[in-house]
Amino acid sequence: MRGFELVRPATLEEAIRLLDTDDPTVRPLSGGTAIMQMMKTGIFKPSRLVSLSSLAGDHSAITLDDKGFLSIGAMTTLAAVEHSQVVLQHAPLLPKVMKRLANVRVRNAATVGGALAHGDPHMDLPPVLAALDAEVIAQGPGGQRRIPVADLYAGYFETVLQRGEIIASVSVPPRNGCNSVYRKTTTRTADDWPALGVATSLGRGEGVLQHVRLFASAATERMTRLGSAEAHLRGNRPEAKLLEEAGRIAAQEVEVIDDAHGSAAYKVALVAVQVRRALHEALQQGSEQ
Amino acid sequence: MNIRPELTNHQIGRSVPRLEGPEKVSGRASYVHNLKLPGMLYAKIFRSTVAHGRILSIDVSAARMMEGVEHVFTGEDVKTIVPNPYFGPAFHDQPVLAIDKVHFVGEPVAVVLARDPYVAAEAAQLITAEYEELPAVFDEVEAMHSKAVVHEELKPAGTFPDLKHLAGRKDTNIALDYHLRRGDPVAGFAQAVHVFEHEFRTQQVMHVPLEPMVTLAEPHHNTIIIHTASQSPSFVRIEIARLLGWPENRVQVKVPHLGGGFGAKLYIKLEALAACAALLAGAPVKVMLPMEEQFYTITKHASTFRIKSGVDHEGRLLARHCEVYWNGGAFADIGPRVTQKSGFTAPGPYDIDNVSIDSYALYTNRPPAGALRGFGIPQLVWAYESHTDIIAHELGIDPIEFRRRNILRDDRPQATGTPMTDAAVDAVLEKIAECMQWESGSRRKSDDPTKRFGRGMAIGFKASISPTTSVAVVNVAADGSVVLQLSTVDMGQGSDTAMAQIVAEILEVAAEDVRIVHPDTDVTPYDMATLGSRSTFHMGHAVRLAAEDAKRKLEELAHAMGFTDHAVWQPRDLFRRKYGMQAGNVIGVGTFIPEYRSPDPENGQSDKVTPFWMIGGTGVELEVDVETGHFRILRMINVADLGTPLNPRIVETQLSGASMMQLGFTMFEEMRLDAGQVTNASLADYKIPGIQDVPDAIENEIVAAHQSNGPFGAKGVGETATFGVSPAIANALFDAVGVRLTQLPLTPEAVFMAMRAKEGAASGV
Ligand SMILES: Cc1cc2nc3c(=O)[nH]c(=O)nc-3n(C[C@H](O)[C@H](O)[C@H](O)COP(=O)(O)OP(=O)(O)OC[C@H]3O[C@@H](n4cnc5c(N)ncnc54)[C@H](O)[C@@H]3O)c2cc1C
Repeated sequence: MRGFELVRPATLEEAIRLLDTDDPTVRPLSGGTAIMQMMKTGIFKPSRLVSLSSLAGDHSAITLDDKGFLSIGAMTTLAAVEHSQVVLQHAPLLPKVMKRLANVRVRNAATVGGALAHGDPHMDLPPVLAALDAEVIAQGPGGQRRIPVADLYAGYFETVLQRGEIIASVSVPPRNGCNSVYRKTTTRTADDWPALGVATSLGRGEGVLQHVRLFASAATERMTRLGSAEAHLRGNRPEAKLLEEAGRIAAQEVEVIDDAHGSAAYKVALVAVQVRRALHEALQQGSEQ
Repeated sequence: MNIRPELTNHQIGRSVPRLEGPEKVSGRASYVHNLKLPGMLYAKIFRSTVAHGRILSIDVSAARMMEGVEHVFTGEDVKTIVPNPYFGPAFHDQPVLAIDKVHFVGEPVAVVLARDPYVAAEAAQLITAEYEELPAVFDEVEAMHSKAVVHEELKPAGTFPDLKHLAGRKDTNIALDYHLRRGDPVAGFAQAVHVFEHEFRTQQVMHVPLEPMVTLAEPHHNTIIIHTASQSPSFVRIEIARLLGWPENRVQVKVPHLGGGFGAKLYIKLEALAACAALLAGAPVKVMLPMEEQFYTITKHASTFRIKSGVDHEGRLLARHCEVYWNGGAFADIGPRVTQKSGFTAPGPYDIDNVSIDSYALYTNRPPAGALRGFGIPQLVWAYESHTDIIAHELGIDPIEFRRRNILRDDRPQATGTPMTDAAVDAVLEKIAECMQWESGSRRKSDDPTKRFGRGMAIGFKASISPTTSVAVVNVAADGSVVLQLSTVDMGQGSDTAMAQIVAEILEVAAEDVRIVHPDTDVTPYDMATLGSRSTFHMGHAVRLAAEDAKRKLEELAHAMGFTDHAVWQPRDLFRRKYGMQAGNVIGVGTFIPEYRSPDPENGQSDKVTPFWMIGGTGVELEVDVETGHFRILRMINVADLGTPLNPRIVETQLSGASMMQLGFTMFEEMRLDAGQVTNASLADYKIPGIQDVPDAIENEIVAAHQSNGPFGAKGVGETATFGVSPAIANALFDAVGVRLTQLPLTPEAVFMAMRAKEGAASGV
């Protein structure tokens, strides 16, 4: 039997060294919930898996710095994020999203690093973190760099992470009075992967929308920033008509694909509805505070 | 004879907690998957990649060379021990491993055996096969006349007399055509004021037992033991013995706990391959499927149902014609029974004088279809209750009122001519109306303009497959403790508990104190199978008879031992007096087969086509999001006539469980095929309902009823709550947003597209 090698480096540096190779069959292993599935179906046949489990001690902390930036270690499980009081206070959207992300068993094993690095567009965390202006701290042979989550994806199952680069943590800036919403639409069961994910973050000042972030995922080949819809909203009064228009513009600008979750025609219609609803919801949250 | 006097005669109708519960929740229950034997080899199946093709060559050399691989076998090897290695309950059409040709993507072609299951899996990937591809047919209606023919020649098994005439038939995909005629349909339609005709379709789905199929075959000197997750140990024994040319007593079939069956583990599945591989290898062989491969083993029939009704000016049904096409896939399995035994209920629980039914079991190049909880009934009810709802609306009659005018009441004969005795169709209908406050029309309204409320209902019925036999043995030990030996498989439905209650009631012990011996064909007697909600009735009677037999023998013994007064002896006193010590047994035996008359081959008529009828209905209240097509079920009400419940709590879980399962088939589940290849054969892409998909409220109602020929007034219930779910939801969707869906599943996209088409039509676009 061919099998594969499983290595458990003790430090991040060692892990990076082990991963610094052109061989695409060498990959990091975190919670394993995604990678094992690919191995079971034969899509991915590893020669070596670099388990990051020994790094969990150092890279699964959730901390808040004095500027109000929330840092979540890459090895933090989704369940830990779901139940963290610090996260609940500073990024309350994240625990909320977890309730419908996969199931308890997956959340107990899956990690934030894996959820960001996997690159499947049908994931809930990337658009949410992008809308929150979060950044990934990536560590590689050449040192450390910060990558906005909004820019993390190069394509279908493809990130901009380079050879040997590992996600070490993710940094979420303070909310600054913005309200954020994620709307997950499934077309099969409730705990399914999303057919469409829409995330938004809105900040108001002087009666107009000043801060606008709007992302769509799952229905698209990769997570997409809805730039035209954002531009249409920015600087304007958030009236029902404007939100409706933003939904329509979003549906026009986004490139939707057919897949097992539904036809492109259907999902385009969903984009218009869910963008409008997400915006409404975020504004309503704002007015409740 | 009172061991626990306080419990005497209160065993029936008591919600005894499931006997196996503690064992299961504490993780101690054993399953075939856990079983390991010394020297055991794991099997991995190499499967066909083409839907229909002639095998040109199979190259197993690389697999055989791989380190750790013990054996690789193909159909040619199987032939060395079984000259004619075809099996199946209705047709001998399924080869142990493919011979000469393959009939669907996923058909087993070769098997690798290794001590390490991962070695076997990797070696199986090294096998290659070349095929000459043949034209394939996938659609059941096309299969009626297609040039692509799945089997060269039909090979009925000979077990069922009404299939014998099909022997040797060539150039056809019709495994069985079943016809029923009652009254004069032509005249009926001629008299009708309105005629309605519709077509409804259902998709192919899978049982998804959470314990995937598994069999471990253990060869011995001149016997074989088959440990298997099977719903029909007696059939497995008979069929393996037939294949090997052995007497039944050299084949021992043992079934421990099952992690769900739902019809997937019926008749014979992996057992033939496991037995042949074990005999060829001379070692125990375990064949265990991963979840993904179950999709290539057995499924539920996709179907097309064309239904036509003639109605008079008072809204009375005068005539009905039913044309049903069952997509049986590549092997008949039990499909021909579905076609006939369920087919004759196709006109629904309605009193119609003039009826014709044409029902066809078709071979196609899809994964095989067989029995799945409801045995074809949910497909039929889906069509006739959607049709009924359309007729009522078009005639401007309230849907429940329309049904009141037409349902089968009292002892009126159903389409076969068998009277609807002990069939509470009207009580079920009225209970739904009452629970939904149908008449007062208390309709919820949403404040949200994007939401619409809707309600719908449906009723259906099923006959018990007949005639079938059950045998039970009750063994009273010298201390008076009782063991029940039976081949009914408790796969989660609670049969062990119910059967123990029957024994306990008669022998005046507590149900909790009756020990059940799980199926082991060396010690547990014959039972046709655990299927079609037949066990409570058939095995229930056999167990009752066995317990009564034991009781009579104890009384005789008491008499012989000089006891006269019933109250003064305990069973252990009898044994002690007779044998001078704690020794001996009393064995009671019960055999049951109900009365049955074969339908007239000309017109399908019989006055005793089934020993009992199961009646079920569902009412649904839902809310539709008009902007997305999503809908949420606010309330689901399941109403059933199951006679008198032996164990009310278990019965209720059967109702809610069955309705949830059917809800999955209605809203989410669908095997998607691309040129015969299942494209979503995994739980990642074939989604079954989870806890968040459960309706806000599920209410289960048991109507007051008594099955007069049933054990303690009871009858079967395992499938009853599946009947009405799909059409109730579709009817509620129509009520909410005015669109009619005729194809399952009822996805948000389907609802959305139908609403859009309706708007388009309204605005003339
Ligand atoms: C049944 C099921 C249901 C699911 N439903 C949902 C859902 O509803 N919504 C949703 O969003 N997701 C869903 N998922 C996906 C789940 O979120 C991912 O599988 C999970 O987040 C991956 O994390 P992991 O730690 O297990 O990653 P792994 O499987 O260990 O790794 C995933 C990928 O990321 C790479 N990787 C892992 N860690 C790092 C790192 N630190 N740096 C760089 N690369 C890394 C690996 O090499 C691999 O390529 C579901 C999964 C399952 C199994």
